[in-house]
Amino acid sequence: MNERIEPRASRFPRLLRRGPCEAVTMLLIGLGVVMLMQPFSLNLFSYSFVTILAGTLGFVIVSHFPD
Amino acid sequence: MSTVAAHSVAEPSQLAKTIGGMLVATYAIIAILPLLWIFLTSFKTPTDSISYPPKIISESSVEGYVNLFTTRTRQTPEFLASLPPPQTWYERLVRSRNMVIAGPSKVVPRFINSIVIGFGSTFLAVCLGTIAAYAFSRFRVPLADDLLFFILSTRMMPPIAVAIPIYLMFRNLGLTDTKLGMILLYTAVNVSLAVWLLKGFIDEIPREYEEAAMVDGYSRLQAFFKVVLPQAITGIAATAIFCLIFAWNEYAFAVLLTSGDAQTMPPFIPFIIGEGGQDWPAVAAATTLFFLPILLFTVLLRRHLLRGITFGAVRK
Amino acid sequence: MSTLAERADARAPRRLAFRLSTMSDRAIAWLFITPSVLLLLAINIFPLLWTIQLSFTNYRANRPNAPLRYVGLDNYRDILSDPDVWHAMQATAHFVLWSIGLEMLIGFGLALLINRRFRAHSFWTTMILLPMMLSPAVVGNFWTFLLQPQIGLFNSVVAFFTGADPSSFQMIGDVALAPWAIVMVDVWMWTPYVMLICLAGLRSIPDYIYEAAEVDRASRWRQFWSITLPMVMPFLMLAILFRAIENFKMFDMVNLLTSGGPGSTTEVASITLKREAFEKWRTGYSSALAIILFVTVFGAANIYVRVLDRVKQR
Repeated sequence: MNERIEPRASRFPRLLRRGPCEAVTMLLIGLGVVMLMQPFSLNLFSYSFVTILAGTLGFVIVSHFPD
Repeated sequence: MSTVAAHSVAEPSQLAKTIGGMLVATYAIIAILPLLWIFLTSFKTPTDSISYPPKIISESSVEGYVNLFTTRTRQTPEFLASLPPPQTWYERLVRSRNMVIAGPSKVVPRFINSIVIGFGSTFLAVCLGTIAAYAFSRFRVPLADDLLFFILSTRMMPPIAVAIPIYLMFRNLGLTDTKLGMILLYTAVNVSLAVWLLKGFIDEIPREYEEAAMVDGYSRLQAFFKVVLPQAITGIAATAIFCLIFAWNEYAFAVLLTSGDAQTMPPFIPFIIGEGGQDWPAVAAATTLFFLPILLFTVLLRRHLLRGITFGAVRK
Repeated sequence: MSTLAERADARAPRRLAFRLSTMSDRAIAWLFITPSVLLLLAINIFPLLWTIQLSFTNYRANRPNAPLRYVGLDNYRDILSDPDVWHAMQATAHFVLWSIGLEMLIGFGLALLINRRFRAHSFWTTMILLPMMLSPAVVGNFWTFLLQPQIGLFNSVVAFFTGADPSSFQMIGDVALAPWAIVMVDVWMWTPYVMLICLAGLRSIPDYIYEAAEVDRASRWRQFWSITLPMVMPFLMLAILFRAIENFKMFDMVNLLTSGGPGSTTEVASITLKREAFEKWRTGYSSALAIILFVTVFGAANIYVRVLDRVKQR
C-alpha cells in the first residue's frame, strides 16, 4: 500500500494508539455478531445491533488514530 | 543424518505424492460428477431424465436442446395427420411427440441480454477501474486508504439490502427492466473489483518506465496511454474476465429488477418449464450452454484466479 | 500570410492539447478517480442513504401514494424483538458455521495434498476449481434436480453406499435435512475457494524454515503446528472472513435451492429480507432490516481489509 514514513506519534497517549483501539472495536463487532446469531437469549439479540453499530463506528474513528 | 539430507521437506517422498494425487483426483471426480450429470441429462429424453432409478446410460437425444429453443403445442393425432410432412429434423422430432412447434422460445433474447449486459458493464467497469487504479497507484491521493475501502465496501453490501432503494430509484427513473439500468448497476458493482485488482497489477509495473518516457518528452497522460496501458494489458484482460463472469452469474439484482426485456439467463433458467413441471433436459441444456463460456474462461484465468478472489491482495 | 482568424483557429487545438499535457498530477488523479466515485455514490451510497431514511418510516413500495409517516426507531425495535427474525439469524448462523467449518477442513486438507506437487496436479486443481466459478443461482437450481428423492442422482448414490431406500429421505423437503442441503451445496461450491487461498498460504512459506526445523529434528507433527499453521493463519483468516461475509448475505443459491423452505427452516437473513421487502412489501420495516444486515457486513468488511493488509505484507 502507500508507503508513508511517519514519525512515531510519541505524544499520543499510549492507550489510544491505533493498534489496541482497533483490537477493542474489532472485538466489539465480533461480540455483536455472536449476539446477533446466538440461539440462547432474545435479550442479547435485541442489543446485538447497537453493539455492532458501536463497534463499527468506533473502528472507523479509531482507525484514523496515529500508530 | 543422511536420511535428512536425502529427502528435503520441500520435496515429499514419491509415495506421499502418489497418495496425495489419488486423494485429490478422487475429490475432483466427485466434485465434477454433478456437472457431468447435468451435461448427460441435457442429452437425455424427458422420460429418461426422470426415470427411477436414474439412468447413467440412456439413448441420446437432442430433444432437450430443441425444447430449449422452441415453444410447442400438443395436438391431436388427427390434426397432426392433416399437416404437411415435417421439413426439418427438429420438426420431425417434435412431431414424433405429438406436438408442433409454435415458435422460438425466449432463450435467445435472454442469452443476448446476458451478453449485452455482461460486455457493456464489463467495458465500463474496466475503463473506469483502469484510470482510477492508475491514480491510486501512482499519485498521492488524500485519504486514499479510506477511498479504497469505501470502493471495496460497496461490493460487500448484501445485494438484497441495496435492491430495495435501487428498485425504487429505477422505478422513478424508468430504468426498471432496461438493459441500460442493469449495465449501470453491474458497472457499479464491478468497478470496485476492477479498481482493486488493477491497482495490484499496475503497482507491479515499475514507475521507471513512465519516468523514462516522461524524460523523453511524453506528458503524464501520454505515458499512461503509451507505456502503462500496454504493460498492464494482461491484468486488464484478467480483470475484464472477472467482471464478465460476475455480470454473467449475477442473480439477485436480475430477478428483482428485470422481468422481461432485460432479463438475463440466471433468473430465466429456473423457469424453463415443460408440461407438468420443469423440463429437465431443457433446463440441463440451458445450464450446459450457460456454463460453457465460464468453463472456458476459468481455464484461461487459471493463473490469475487467486488475485481475483482476494481483490488483488494475494499474488502467488 | 494568413488572417488573424485562421491563426486563432490553428492555435486552438494546440492550446487544448497543451492544457491536457501540462495538467498537474493532482488534477489527473482527481480526473481519474472522480468517475468511479461518482458512479458508486449514485448507485450505492445514495440508495444507502435512502434506505436509512426509509427505515424510519412506514413506507410501502406497493402503495406509493399512501401517507408517509415517520415512526422513529419502531422498525428497529420490532425487528430486534421479533422471534422470527431471531430464528432467521440462527438459521443463518447454522449455515455460516457449518459451511465454513467444513470448507476450511476439506479445503485446507486438499491444499496440503496439492502442495505435494504430484504429477498433473495443475490439471486436477483446475478441475476442482470449476464449481466456484459457476452462477450460484443456476447451481442452486440444478441441485434441486440432483436432490430429488427418487429421480435424483444424490439419493441414488447415497442409497448405493448405505443400502437405504433412495425415496426414504428428501434433502430439500425434510425439515431436518434441508438446512444440511444448503450447507452441502455451499461446501461443494466454495471448498475450492478456501483451497486456493490455503494453497497460496502454504506456498508463501519459505523452504528454509522447514529445513531449519529439520536440522533441529522437529517432528512432522510439530512442524505442522509450529510452522505451517501459524504461517498460513492470516490466509485462513482471509478465507474465513470472506466466506463468512458472503454466506451471511447468501441469497441466490438458497433462494433457488429451497427458497427458505420447508416452512422457514432454511430462511436465512437475505431470504427473510426478500420476503419482507418484495412479497409483503413492508418497505420501511425491511429497510431497517437491510440496514442491520448492512452494518454487520460493513463491520466485518473492516476487519477483512485489515487481514487483507496483513496478507499483502507477506
